[in-house]
Amino acid sequence: MRRIQLAIAAFGATALLGWLAPSGGQTASAPHPARLLASNCFQCHGPDGRSVSGIDSLAGKPAAELYEELLEMRNRPASRAIMNVHAQGYTKAQLRAIADYFSRQRP
Amino acid sequence: MNRRDFIWSLTGATLGTIVPGPSGRRRQAGAAGGAEPDLVPTATGASGRVVVVGGGMAGATVAKYLRRWGGADVRVTLVEPHASYQSCILSNGVLDGSRSLRALTFEYDVLRQRHGVKVVQDRAVDVDPVARRVTTEGGRRLRYDRLVMAAGIAFDVIPGLESAAARARVPHAWKAGAQTLALRDQLRAMPAGGVVVVTIPPAPYRCPPGPYERACVLADYVKHHKPGARVVVLDANPGIVAEKENFTRAFGVTHAGVVEYHAGVTIGEIDATTLTVHSSVGAIAADVINAIPPQRAAALVAETGLTNAGPWAGVDVLSYESTIVPDIHVIGDASATTQPKAGHIANSEAKVCADAITRLLRGDGVDPAPMTNSSCYTPITAGTASWLSVVFVYDPVTRTMKPVGGAPTESRRASAEQYEEMLEWYENLMADTFA
Repeated sequence: MRRIQLAIAAFGATALLGWLAPSGGQTASAPHPARLLASNCFQCHGPDGRSVSGIDSLAGKPAAELYEELLEMRNRPASRAIMNVHAQGYTKAQLRAIADYFSRQRP
Repeated sequence: MNRRDFIWSLTGATLGTIVPGPSGRRRQAGAAGGAEPDLVPTATGASGRVVVVGGGMAGATVAKYLRRWGGADVRVTLVEPHASYQSCILSNGVLDGSRSLRALTFEYDVLRQRHGVKVVQDRAVDVDPVARRVTTEGGRRLRYDRLVMAAGIAFDVIPGLESAAARARVPHAWKAGAQTLALRDQLRAMPAGGVVVVTIPPAPYRCPPGPYERACVLADYVKHHKPGARVVVLDANPGIVAEKENFTRAFGVTHAGVVEYHAGVTIGEIDATTLTVHSSVGAIAADVINAIPPQRAAALVAETGLTNAGPWAGVDVLSYESTIVPDIHVIGDASATTQPKAGHIANSEAKVCADAITRLLRGDGVDPAPMTNSSCYTPITAGTASWLSVVFVYDPVTRTMKPVGGAPTESRRASAEQYEEMLEWYENLMADTFA
């Protein structure tokens, strides 16, 4: 967790902008620090957050919007909705990094 | 990945759900021409040969993500004896007729064409960990820098079921395919008022809530098609292993009078001729017996010397590398971890493993704090489902994956809404694994 926070801090906002969505035969670029964490969401929300079913897609959504939603779910542990259970598992910094990851994927 | 990449098929007259069809639309990128498929980065600094043994949920996912994350210089060969994969997930739908086996079938073409995985239809029969080489039944010799064993489970033989004929008469239906169809056909042929016996092996076994889900689906089926029939559940465990609240309610309320549940039962022998189960709660005469045998890691895992936690393979959950043999990783049901043996989490473990191998092949250290999750929807009737969910975080003290909150959480009840969510979850899970 600490390592991810550090990684994000180190890269900074301008470096984050330089990341490409993983498509189109890209050449080497540093992977997003939350790539592995965010891949935990793919099983339900589709590969790279692009859903092929009625479940919401996450790819290309604004990071702030995703983070707000995740935080709201994290703050309601008692509701026992499936996403609230998942949101409990992550720190705020992790949720912010995951939101950032999906905001950079092509919708 | 989008909807157009699938041939969509309508399946299940009663459900009318949309599921991805068995064959993905062919995308002619890479593979034949030498150029890399679009989704594979040309270079990431990682390079090496990885052989994956087994093309189930764990194996398909690790092969895909090794290419997606490792890039063109990580050459991945997937060895799988079957031409296609049939998912255990949702396979109880075949039993009640709501789903076809075809709708559970996934081809390896997409891994090959979109992700440049070399798929070899053959059976791995030997691993030489010193020469770092896998030998197949067909005589292939595959050299590796890293080997991923995603070989799944093997079944123990229940006394009385030593012969193939006896096992055909008493199906487990715990790997989807011919066994599932055999059990379905026996159920259809069963008379009204008949008795179905389901036996549950001691944990750990594949899919903790699965046997209880099976009992619910069978109970719902006989209620509608075989009036007066009963489902007798003989559980080797001291109580319901997973999703206790929901299944207790399902057995005691939803399917009251149909399901008869016994915990802590020892099976002495099953007589496949008279269809009698000899157990610690007596001899039970049945019309259909669904005996789910005790399980262990697949034979090749043991033969390679990877088992050290009972019949399962101990691994370092930061990379899933064997704690005995270097350069061999074991993911999915064959490994011994604190995580359940099930398809959704096998996908999750596979990604941690793919990420770790990518880093190792780049000469870097592995992620010191990986997380995984397990979500599982289970039908309680033909139109309602419940769920069980848990997030695991790496605990550096015990070096295990620890469930956040101490234990999995189950849904408050079964509902029709969750049944729909289950079908949507399945589509995305399978797309993430095979497309």
